[in-house]
Order: sequence, then C-alpha cells, then structure tokens
Amino acid sequence: MNKALLLTKSNLRKNRGTSIGLFLLMLIATSLIGVSLLIFFDCYPTVRKTAERLNSGDGFLQIYGGVDGFTDEKIDEIIGSETDDYYIYRNLSYRNLPLTFGEGKVITGFVCVDDSSAFSREMNRFEVVNEDTSITENYIYLPFQFNTSGGFETGDTFEFEYTGKKHSYTVRGFVDCIYGGCNNTGCFELLLDDESFEKLWDEAHDANENIVIIYDLKEGVNLGHFNINTTSEFLKINPYAQVFSDTLDSVVSNRTFIGLIIAVSILVLTSLIVVAVAMMLANCISNYIQENMKTLGALKAIGYTGRDIKASLVIWFMSLACVSSLIGIFVSYLFMPLFAGIMIGQMGLSYSVSFNAMATLIPFGYVVLFTLIVTLIASGKISKIQPIVALREGIESHNFKKNHVALDKTSMSLNMSLAMKTFFGNMKQNVITFFVVGFMVFACIISLLMYENFSRKPKLDILTTELCAGVVACDLETKDEMRDYLESRNDITNVREIINLDFYYNDEVKLFSYVVKDTSKMNNKSLCYKGRLPGHDNEVAVSGAFAKAYGFEIGDEIKLDYGDNSYNYLITGFIQTTNNAGREALLTYEAADHVIGTDNIPGWFWFDMVDEDEDFNANADTLETILDDIKEDYGDHIVGTMNFYEMIGGSMTTFKSISAMMLILMITISVIVIALILFLLIKSLIYHKRKDYGIYKALGYTSGSLMLQTALSFMPAVIASIIVFSIGSYYGANPYMSTFMRAFGLMKCRFDIPVAGVVIIGVGLAIVSFVLAILQTRRIKKIEAYNMLIAD
Amino acid sequence: MKNIIETKKLCKTFSNGGIQQHVLKNIDLEIYEGDFTIIMGASGAGKSTLLYSLSGMDKPTLGSVSFDGTEITKMSTDELAIFRRSNCGFVFQQVYLVESMSVLDNIMAAGLLVYRDKKVLAKKAGEILKAVDIDEPLWGKFPAQISGGEAQRVGIARALINDPKLVFADEPTGALNSQTGKAVLDTLTKFNEKGQSIVMVTHDITSARRGNRILYVKDGEIAGECKLGKYVTGDKERHQKLNDFLAKMGW
Repeated sequence: MNKALLLTKSNLRKNRGTSIGLFLLMLIATSLIGVSLLIFFDCYPTVRKTAERLNSGDGFLQIYGGVDGFTDEKIDEIIGSETDDYYIYRNLSYRNLPLTFGEGKVITGFVCVDDSSAFSREMNRFEVVNEDTSITENYIYLPFQFNTSGGFETGDTFEFEYTGKKHSYTVRGFVDCIYGGCNNTGCFELLLDDESFEKLWDEAHDANENIVIIYDLKEGVNLGHFNINTTSEFLKINPYAQVFSDTLDSVVSNRTFIGLIIAVSILVLTSLIVVAVAMMLANCISNYIQENMKTLGALKAIGYTGRDIKASLVIWFMSLACVSSLIGIFVSYLFMPLFAGIMIGQMGLSYSVSFNAMATLIPFGYVVLFTLIVTLIASGKISKIQPIVALREGIESHNFKKNHVALDKTSMSLNMSLAMKTFFGNMKQNVITFFVVGFMVFACIISLLMYENFSRKPKLDILTTELCAGVVACDLETKDEMRDYLESRNDITNVREIINLDFYYNDEVKLFSYVVKDTSKMNNKSLCYKGRLPGHDNEVAVSGAFAKAYGFEIGDEIKLDYGDNSYNYLITGFIQTTNNAGREALLTYEAADHVIGTDNIPGWFWFDMVDEDEDFNANADTLETILDDIKEDYGDHIVGTMNFYEMIGGSMTTFKSISAMMLILMITISVIVIALILFLLIKSLIYHKRKDYGIYKALGYTSGSLMLQTALSFMPAVIASIIVFSIGSYYGANPYMSTFMRAFGLMKCRFDIPVAGVVIIGVGLAIVSFVLAILQTRRIKKIEAYNMLIAD
Repeated sequence: MKNIIETKKLCKTFSNGGIQQHVLKNIDLEIYEGDFTIIMGASGAGKSTLLYSLSGMDKPTLGSVSFDGTEITKMSTDELAIFRRSNCGFVFQQVYLVESMSVLDNIMAAGLLVYRDKKVLAKKAGEILKAVDIDEPLWGKFPAQISGGEAQRVGIARALINDPKLVFADEPTGALNSQTGKAVLDTLTKFNEKGQSIVMVTHDITSARRGNRILYVKDGEIAGECKLGKYVTGDKERHQKLNDFLAKMGW
C-alpha cells in the first residue's frame, strides 16, 4: 500500500489540472443528486410531517349549501363507527371566490373563513409562520402561499368581494394549514380576528355556512367507500346539502407534484452528467496509461505489480470522489434553501432544510461507487503491459490507416485543414465531445420546453380540462334566458354548457367529471389523447391515468355511480389532466341524465371572448368589464362568475418562476460541464501534441493560428452533436416528458418547442463551446519551439 | 560578400536555482550569403544556443541579431514565427516531422504558410522531394514508415520548401549512421552549391568538412574561424587545414 500511496502522491502532483477538472465534475454531479434527493426525502415529506403536526387526519368532508339538520350528534351517528377520531367545526365558505394572488387572481373551489379557534382546534390546526403582532384589529391571516408566491406581506391590505360587497382586512400574518393552503388543492382557508369573523358571520352565514369534518379512519376502512357512504347518508339528512370530500393523500400529491417534476428533471440532468463524468474518467485513465507508458514499464521493471499501479489509480480517483462528493453534499445543502424557496412557493408550507441521512449517503455512495467501478474497468489494461514493450514506448500514438485531409488536395483553408486532421486523429475526443454536448443540448431543450409551456406561453390545456375566457353560473330560474342572452352578446362567443359533478367508480374512486352539452364546442383539442370524446348518451371518456390504474381500455364498459344511481357507460376515449390526481371523466348531458336530472341543474355557461389579446392582463380587464355587465343585467340570479385570465395569471405565478429558474440553471450547468469537459480534453490533446505544436511553431505557425486550429478541431463533433441532439430532442422531448408526466396524469404530452429557441440554444452552445475551446487552448502560447528542441 | 546575419554583443544567460550560466558571451558575428557555415565546439560550448539565437528561435539575453538588415531580437514571439516562415529553414537532429502527417503533408504544412496556390506548391514540393531523393511512392507514407535517413531528407525538403534565405541545421546527421549521414550531407552540399546559404552545427569532422567557413565556439565565445573554400571530394589539403585548425582550437 505504501508503494501505491507514493505513486498516488506523484500522480496527484503531476496531474493537478486533470484532478481539478474531474473533481469539479464529480462535485457538480454530487451536489445535483443531493439537491434532488433532498427534495425527495426531506422537502417532500414536509407536507406529511406538517399534516401530522397539525393533526390533519386522513381527509375531510365539507357540507355547504344546506346545513340544516347537521347536528354533531347526527354526524357522529354516521361517521362515529368508522373513525378513530374526528373533529367538526363550522365556518364560512365561498365558492369560486376570486382572490388577488401574484400577477392576477386565483380562484379555487372554496375559500373558507375561520376565526381564531383555528389555532387551537383539535384537528386541522393552523400554525403561524410569520406575523406582525402590532396589528391588533380588523386583521386576517393568509395561507403561507400568499406570502411566498402571492406577493403579500404583513401589513398589506387584503380585499375580497362577494355579491358586490367588498371586505377589506390588514394582513397580520401567514399560516401553515394542510387542506386550505395551496392553490392546487382547490381550497384556501383564511383566518379573521374574532370580531371581524363575527361580523362576517352575521352577514353571510345564512348562505355560506360551512361544516367541516376532519376524520381519522379506523384501520381497514376504505377511504373511498367511506366518502361515498357518508355523502349518501348526509344527503338523507338534507337533500339540498352539497357535500365535498378530499383526502390527505390527494392534497399531499397536489401540493408536491411540481416539486417532484423539478426533482426528476434535476435527476435526469444529473444522470447525464454522471455518464459524462464516467466517460471523462475512463478517458483520463486511458490517457494516463498512454502518457506514462515508459514510466509504467520502468515501475514494472523495478518490481511494481499491475495491482500496485492500479491501486494507486484507485486511491487517486477515489480520494477525488470522496472529497468532491463530501463537498458536493455540503454544496447541495448550501443551495437547497434556493430550491426550498421554490418548493415552498408551490407547496405553500414553511420548510427549513435539515440533515437527511438518505439524501447525504446516497449521492456519496453513488459517486464513490461508480468512480471505483469505472477506475477498475479502465485501468484493467495496466496488468497486460509488458515492461519491455512499455519501455520501448509500446503504444502507437497514431494509426496509419488513412491520411485524412491531404493538404495538396483539400480546398479548405490551412487552419481548417489542420484542424480537420486533428479532428480525424482524435476520435475518442470526438465521441466524448459529441455525447457530452448532446446531453447538455437535451437538458437545455427540456428546460426550454418547460419555460415555453409553463412560463412564456403557458400551455393551459395541461393545467385545465377546458379552456375558456370566462364562466357564468346562474340559478335554475334564469338558465334558459341566460343562454339566449349570452349567445346574443357580440363580445363573447362559443357559449357552451359544462358542469362539474363527482361520479364514483366501484364505490371508492371519485372521478371529477365534466358534463358537457356539446363536446364539439370544446376548445381543448389536446384533452382526448386517445380515442374520441363521447357523443352519445351511453358514452364516457375517462382519464388515462385512471384507466391505466384500473385496467380499462377503449371499448370497455364502466359502471359509474352518482348518489344512489348508477349506469354502465362505454369508454370512447382517454383524456389527460394534471388535476384531481389524474382522476377525471367527461360525458354529455344526455349521458349524465341516466343518473341525474340535468334539467334541474343550474346553468353553468362557459364562453370565449371575441377580441382576445396576446396580453393576459388586458384580456382579464376586458372580461371583467363583460362580467360586470352581465352581473348588472342579472343581479342576484348570478350564482358565480369566473375570469379565466385572472385565474391563470394567479395560478401561473408559481410555475413561471420555477420554469424560468430551471432554464437558467440547466443552461448554466451545461456551460460549466462543457467547459470542464473541454478543459480536460484540450489539456490532454495539447499534452499529446506538444511536440507537434513545437514543430509547427518552429516552422512559423503563430500561437493564434494553432489555438484556432485546436479549437476548430472540436467543432465538427460539437456541431454534429448539436444538430443530432437538437433534432432528436425536438422530436423526442414530448415522448420523454410523457414518460414521467404520466405519474402526474399527463399521458401524451404535446408541448410546444419553439424552433427559434432550439436554434438559439444550438447556436449559443456552439459559440460558447468555441469560445471556451479558444480560451482553454491559450496554454499553447506557453509552448516554445526551442523548449521542444532542448527537451529531447 | 553580403552578410545575412550580423550579431552585436550577443549574450545568452540561463538561470537555474539562482545560479547563472553565461552560455554566449558578447558574440559579434556575421554570416554571409551563399556560405555553408559550420559551427563547431565541444559539448556544452553553446553552439546550438548560438544557432537558435541567430535564427530567432531563442531570444538572447542581451545584444542584437540583425537578419538581412532587420533586427529580430526586438520581435515578439508571433512576429518571429511569421519572420521564420520565409526567411529560415530548419533541419533538426531528431528530424521532428509531424507523426500524424504524410511525408507530402509535412512539406505542404510548411509551404502553405507562404504559398497560397496549392497546385503550384504541390508541384514544387514534389520537385524538392525528388531533389532530396525521396521518390513518389514515399510521399503518402507517414514518418514512422520511412527510414531515419529518408526522414532527415524529408526534413531538409521541408526546410527548403519556402526558399529560405538561410537554412539552419542542428547536427542533422547526429542520429544517423555514416552511410545515411553522408547522403544527408550530400543533399545539403548540393543545395549549397546551388546558392543556398546554410549554417550547420556539428561536432563531427566529416560533416564539418562540407562547410567553407568554420566557426569554433569555446566557453560561449567564438574562439576561432577557419575559411576552407568550397567543398571538393577528396581534397586532402582542405581536410588537413581543417584538422590543423581544430587541433589549434583544442579539439
């Protein structure tokens, strides 16, 4: 071992540049693995830990619309036997209430308003994240997401408007709450000071009283069955009651899926970097053997065994791997708050980075292990070296198969011809460059896709099942009149009736269902990715994620329940959605009539705007004017309205910052990785060709000319890689995204990839690669012809 | 006779670990057009250092070198490289052909620095290769596929491709056996007879006989000079004169 250590010390001293380059690559790989695993193992479970701390149970039921008869005793009769524990509280709830959020407004299914008892109730408690206790009256606590993504600070004024009346409060602080704290979960919970709450309660409880039941089920009780049965029993108490239920699992999934997309994206990028590191490591070992052939021969001649020499390489690279991965892990913890900030924005829960054993040990073990394996494989040939052959410089530095680019025949310029000679003489370098640059192109194009579709031109059809400008809901009385009225307006078009109902499959799976009057009027053409949308009264389209989970194919029959009624439908197609945990269905009014009388359902009218602008905010303002106009005409008959542009503006705030950051991160890392790989390759190339450079200089070649030739010799591989991987990524990005977006309900991605963006990335990376190559060839300046002559 | 090179107070000092070694000391020297100048001296006398200082390959510590009236000591590294293209040709002991290039490409790579017309250059390269007895079948071979003597003659062809004003040869036969060495010397002599100026460093008397002017370097100074007239095979009187000069120099 002493012999091996001596050799290792010598290797480290002689190969400082190579060691630093590999060290940095390993450090980047480890820190990225560390970040993605911290998201998986630490940040993601935060939601569950918080749920446990706030005692959020297994799920909740919400009764609104008609709460008469729902005494605590009655509720206990229904749920008591199936729950270990439950907690009932009453508050106010508003359906589809637009709230100011980020750049626009956000509309969730419910906005619940509580009083200060929310801090101390037995289940589903609120917990203050930050507050300004100097604010003592007319205040409100908002979910933490309003602070992280919604742009609110303590002391700000928070307003919401309901049935024409504006309510205004001062923001006292922000809270963690599980079921009502995130715009992805369909519910926001706000907390008022007791006096303000009492005032609001007096004003609104007749129409907006809401009963919330948080429950912890007994072991063995099926969650789906429980929700269906309970809903059914509740409707027996009061048929006018509306019951909504959701589970902790679903809420956790809705709060974390963006985080998981980020973690997976980083892991994919990291796996590409790891492949690049492995290639570079193998290349460095191969170069080491070539460059030190005589030394290796001499070492063997004086009694060193192949094992001693291999051990020295293992110690050399393993020590690099160990130190770089330890620092990499430290770096991942250092940078985690940056990622955590984004995660918090999406999760809507406070989180502080803490030590996580899995996220620490896995990157370390992974990098160290693959370094060991690659080193052992790549150094295998050392054992086969015969001392006498090695001492005679046993490795040929050039094969003589072909004289590429004959200078007397080529039409290329001198620099280009010599660059091409170098290019053809270094195929190993070309292969590494090709793949590394290609991997980085792929990573950048995936980030471009995310930026384009989540930030620059949000691909709304993946966020919502149907696209529209606005929605007007009216009571049953004015339903027919409203339809005619809306159709007669010149500023809106494509008026269609769509309502949302909860159907159930097999008494346990809730399918959030779109009941559509005329599917041909729907705007979202990407919705049905396989088969077709239903057209007849016995047809239904179900979400692909649901179909996959329960083994349904197009043409199969599915029995769907609504209340006590059920009907067998034929599946005509699969739809895709990222909402409702990928559990959605779509059917016509005629089809829904088999289980529910659609004539008795109030009017829900979706429509588009005639003059749509490119600017979301301008559209939001125009539509607001139209909605105000409609409200003026129909007053109290309007049950609710929705300004889609405002809603998207608010919802997209989180996505925008994440995707923009991902693009910047990927491009930065790509440039760093390309720079490091080029550094190692060019360093090795210059070392191998140092004698040739000396000869060229003696002949009269300038340093600039040799630098240009060397940098140009990398460009065919860079350009070929950019072209091949750009085209490949352009066509392969959507299938690739589909593979991991399936977990989030998106089965067949049709994201836009802007050709101009791909070209900019390609040209940009080519230019950056060339500039980096030129910068790294500067060491050619140090080579002097005279030194080459006296060296021999 | 016109001089090509003129040095004034040429000094070269190497420093190593604080110890200074004065390899060239105040050398005033002229190299004349058409001459086959030989620089001789014992090992470590400074003859190669002098050669490379004269050619602009190495920078002197003090003093100046004028090449055809142009002072080259003040030039930058790149300016010197450009200067060397058409003014200097080099023949090295180790040949130093680019291993990954064919014989012809080695000549072309030097020639293309001066000539733009590839056809004209290729024709000229062919002529020079034939002149140094490298026949066409060898042109496509790589340096490792030809003999040492052939490689050195390719080196001479490369040195001559740009019609340099002066060819610098540093022990061109040092790594060759006597037979191939003689062929190389014959080639150099042939080109000198055609008017090519040559400066050659050697410590071999047989090689030195080819020159018409012998400079003897001792302890970093030009210790003596001997003029022999043009080389003629079997000229015993000429050989004797050289032997006497070298004996006087302590050879």
